[in-house]
Amino acid sequence: MQLVLRIIRTSIGKKLLMAFTGLCFCCFLVIHLAGNLSVYGGADTFNSYVNHLHSLGVLVHIAELALLVLAIVHIVTGTVLFIENLRARPVRYSVTRRSGGRTWGSATMPYTGFLILVFLVCHISWFIYAGREYQTVYQILTGLFSNPVVILLYCAAVLVVALHISHGFWSLFQTFGLNHNAYMPAIRALGIIFAVIVAMGFGTIPLYLGL
Amino acid sequence: MQLDAKIPGGPLAEKWDRHRFELKLVSPANKKKFNIIVVGTGLAGGAASASLAELGYNVKTFCIQDSPRRAHSIAAQGGINAAKNYQNDGDSVWRLFYDTIKGGDFRAREANVYRLAQLSVNIIDQCVAQGVPFARDYGGLLANRSFGGAQVSRTFYAKGQTGQQLLLGAYGALSRQIKAGKVTMFPRREMMDLVVINGRARGIVTRHLITGEIETHAADAVVLCSGGYGNLFYLSTNAMSSNVSAAFRAYKRGAFFANPCFVQIHPTCIPVHGHYQSKLTLMSESLRNDGRVWVPKKPGDRRPPAEIPEEERDYYLENKYPSFGNLVPRDVASRNAKEQCDMGKGVGETGLAVYLDFSDAIARDGRKAIEKKYGNLFQMYEKITGENPYETPMKIYPAVHYTMGGLWVDYNLMSNLEGLFVLGEANFSDHGANRLGASALMQGLADGYFIIPYTIGGYLAGTVLEQVSTDHPEFVDAVSGVKERIDRLLKTNGHRTADEFHRQLGKILWDYCGMARNDEGLAKARQMVTELHQEFLEDVVIPGSAGDFNQSLEKAARIEDFFEFAPVMIDDALSRRESCGCHFNEAFQTEENEAKRDDEHGCHVAVWEYAGQNEPPVLHREPLVFENVELTQRSYK
Amino acid sequence: MKSINLTLKVWRQERGSDKGRFETYDATGISTDMSFLEMLDVVNERLTLEGKEPIAFDHDCREGICGMCGAMVNGYAHGHESGTTLCQLHMRHFSDGDTIVIEPWRSRAFKVVKDLVVDRSAFDKIIQEGGYISVNTGGAPDGNTIPVPQDVAEKAMDAASCIGCGACVAACPNGSAMLFVGAKISQFALLPQGRPEAKDRVLAMLNMHDELGFGNCSNERECEARCPKNISIVNIARMNREFIKAALLSE
Repeated sequence: MQLVLRIIRTSIGKKLLMAFTGLCFCCFLVIHLAGNLSVYGGADTFNSYVNHLHSLGVLVHIAELALLVLAIVHIVTGTVLFIENLRARPVRYSVTRRSGGRTWGSATMPYTGFLILVFLVCHISWFIYAGREYQTVYQILTGLFSNPVVILLYCAAVLVVALHISHGFWSLFQTFGLNHNAYMPAIRALGIIFAVIVAMGFGTIPLYLGL
Repeated sequence: MQLDAKIPGGPLAEKWDRHRFELKLVSPANKKKFNIIVVGTGLAGGAASASLAELGYNVKTFCIQDSPRRAHSIAAQGGINAAKNYQNDGDSVWRLFYDTIKGGDFRAREANVYRLAQLSVNIIDQCVAQGVPFARDYGGLLANRSFGGAQVSRTFYAKGQTGQQLLLGAYGALSRQIKAGKVTMFPRREMMDLVVINGRARGIVTRHLITGEIETHAADAVVLCSGGYGNLFYLSTNAMSSNVSAAFRAYKRGAFFANPCFVQIHPTCIPVHGHYQSKLTLMSESLRNDGRVWVPKKPGDRRPPAEIPEEERDYYLENKYPSFGNLVPRDVASRNAKEQCDMGKGVGETGLAVYLDFSDAIARDGRKAIEKKYGNLFQMYEKITGENPYETPMKIYPAVHYTMGGLWVDYNLMSNLEGLFVLGEANFSDHGANRLGASALMQGLADGYFIIPYTIGGYLAGTVLEQVSTDHPEFVDAVSGVKERIDRLLKTNGHRTADEFHRQLGKILWDYCGMARNDEGLAKARQMVTELHQEFLEDVVIPGSAGDFNQSLEKAARIEDFFEFAPVMIDDALSRRESCGCHFNEAFQTEENEAKRDDEHGCHVAVWEYAGQNEPPVLHREPLVFENVELTQRSYK
Repeated sequence: MKSINLTLKVWRQERGSDKGRFETYDATGISTDMSFLEMLDVVNERLTLEGKEPIAFDHDCREGICGMCGAMVNGYAHGHESGTTLCQLHMRHFSDGDTIVIEPWRSRAFKVVKDLVVDRSAFDKIIQEGGYISVNTGGAPDGNTIPVPQDVAEKAMDAASCIGCGACVAACPNGSAMLFVGAKISQFALLPQGRPEAKDRVLAMLNMHDELGFGNCSNERECEARCPKNISIVNIARMNREFIKAALLSE
């Protein structure tokens, strides 16, 4: 109990929660992307991947539940941190400048996080309400991405995720205390590469399907 | 008037042990019944507050800054001496003692200095245990360097921030006692007066610098650790808030002031650049190991240094002191720089600077080697001056750095006023007429950690102290005195700022009571100071009110104390009929232009007693007796 | 010697409880050899002679070590030069005609006292929670009984070089003091003398950090970029490790 309190109540405890859940999402993105890339194998490959996934049955529901819990923790903690950080400076500066530490990714974390939440809600509801009884997932996808507006929105969302990762990835290492002068530049580079892979990997799918 | 230094008997090496045994003890249960006030949180004050609280005393500690961590001890760069002999190079307590007393030109007490050398060893142990990150050798043991021309490597250091690290150690110890409730900390307080009841120091009056409130605090003893008075000269390497006020208020309440004219002037500082300069920055004297000091041979030569050919340069230190060259002691180097500038050979816009040239060293050892040794110093120099010392010679000039003089104390560090203890730079005790490099940190910490905890117990155990509260008439009087003074200052409403007066006062003292003095100049300065003081009283302007955070008022009050203190310093310089250490009266010099002591008539501490407003102070003399060292004359030819 | 003319927009606030405002002042004939604080001295001297209240600002050593000075200059803590305190910032880094906006540190934990002066006693409170090694005076073993590897001593020294100026808090978009806390935790975590109390120290100091109303670190690295002593966020990572060890892994 004391342990839980220490994590929830302390600043670093909350950061560790963010880092841990963030790490889980990074892993999830890797798996998700690997699956999605089967789109490039054509309708059959992709549909068989989807069927395989669904044949896991209860495991899928456990995974979904776990992701939901992780998401709630990440969002709630993130919101608490955001509010606390706003309150830490009740009077704002009239002039603010960056000195080279802050990046577009780090500066926008709470906002990109919120946009990702909006995107996730849309993303999941599309599939829930898409009516899987009379069409394959592949068909749903091609249907959706025939609309250029959807392509645009999807790509924008993916870019937002990438921006979020560009700071989140290396940041979680720092939070876990894994900052070593020799490795940190590599970790930071890896974070950028990972963000680019996510952006390219997810972002090219609608373009491939829709155009 | 008999001044009793209370130096214990017996052989020099056993005096302190013997004294500690003879001092009465306060029983552990009784310590919490005593209240002690500590003014200042530098090395001496921080260390004393922590150590006294650890013993069980109730301590109230006051500092002028917003946090006890900011006292000016923090700015000491070079290091701290200790006779550890870790380098196996022949150091010993005796050698440190001898170097210190000789460096002080034989104007300090043997017993005090010997104790300082003894305690130096404990300081290092204590600081290491506190987590002070001293530099280490490859094997992980403590590293040492030779400093200030010492022939042994006995200086411990933490990069160029030794003072900072030692102070943070003491601040940590103090913080621990604040947390434990044994020390009550009062930051942003200025001591405005000392309260003396029945001949004993029993409390202080302070001003809360933010609210302007005048507060009173009663105690069984007052420990003054308020630093030196170098800012008397306006421009010095001291912090802006360093002042004489606390010590001077004690002086006006009857505490004696000793050797006020002993002021150390450091040769390697960045020169003054303009009228509005507020302080001077010290550059480590290690620079003189490789830099060559020169000026143009022809007075008034305004050419840039690169255009002055070798044969038209005067390497005056090398020419004058062939064997020591650029490495002559601080006072000698300072005086010679002044002499050259007085002849019109000074360089830079103001003509008050000499070159410190590294071009030969760079040509000899390569830029890399010089960068490794002095990189951070060169960088600091460039940051301040905007000039690159790898390409053009540095300009340096001496600046006021440390004051050896201070309130008179006996062997217990107690002033002639009972119950008033004075520690660190605020007292006069250990450095004689000249302080050696890396010795100030040593003294502050020895006083605070290892002397006051014993001697204050001896005083408290051996004295019957009546109960005193802040309702006592002496407190009421002191408070109304402080309030009247502040009102008077604020009401002056003249036309010149306090800073402007301070600048002028500093200039008078720098010109006539600085590196080289003569009777005529001193007399003239005495007159000028008196006149300027009068103008100050009539024409200073202080904006704002008393019940407010009023930095102008703080400054003006301190400057007023400087005005009253300056004549004491000048009188002291006039009355010392010899030259010694940093006090150089041109009438007393050897054929080599060195300070010429008069051991027959000058072997004493000059002790000044306040005799009333507008009355000349009374001089007493505490004879200095040397039983263990032979008095010799310095020579650097 | 060059001289420049500047326009200053300075935050003026009588006392903590008052509402502040910006005032505009002309700073004319400023020598480029002056430090920033000397420039303020000049402005203050003129204000005083005009019968106005000078601008209150904290300062003491004026050589970049006491940590007393500091203000936001055009949105930069201690001004735009890196590795510099305000007192060591020189006017040659400004150009003729510049407008300079000067504001106090802004943080819930640092209340404005007057004008540019803020109350940083929160830092002292954090240190009081354990920013020291609990040894009494006397009885310390010989300094050489505990060897400390040279590189460890140097790292400890780098962490210990913090001057407590508050620029990290001021520059942090979240108003977090983690660089300050991390530096002190690191110093003692690295040194063998500090290990016995390492667990209690990190928990207590961080607790106080949170209690005082500082924000949370989100690894923005602005603190490191603005620290006048160039203290690295590696020290924050080390503190996080200490926290994990103390809060989650210890028994």
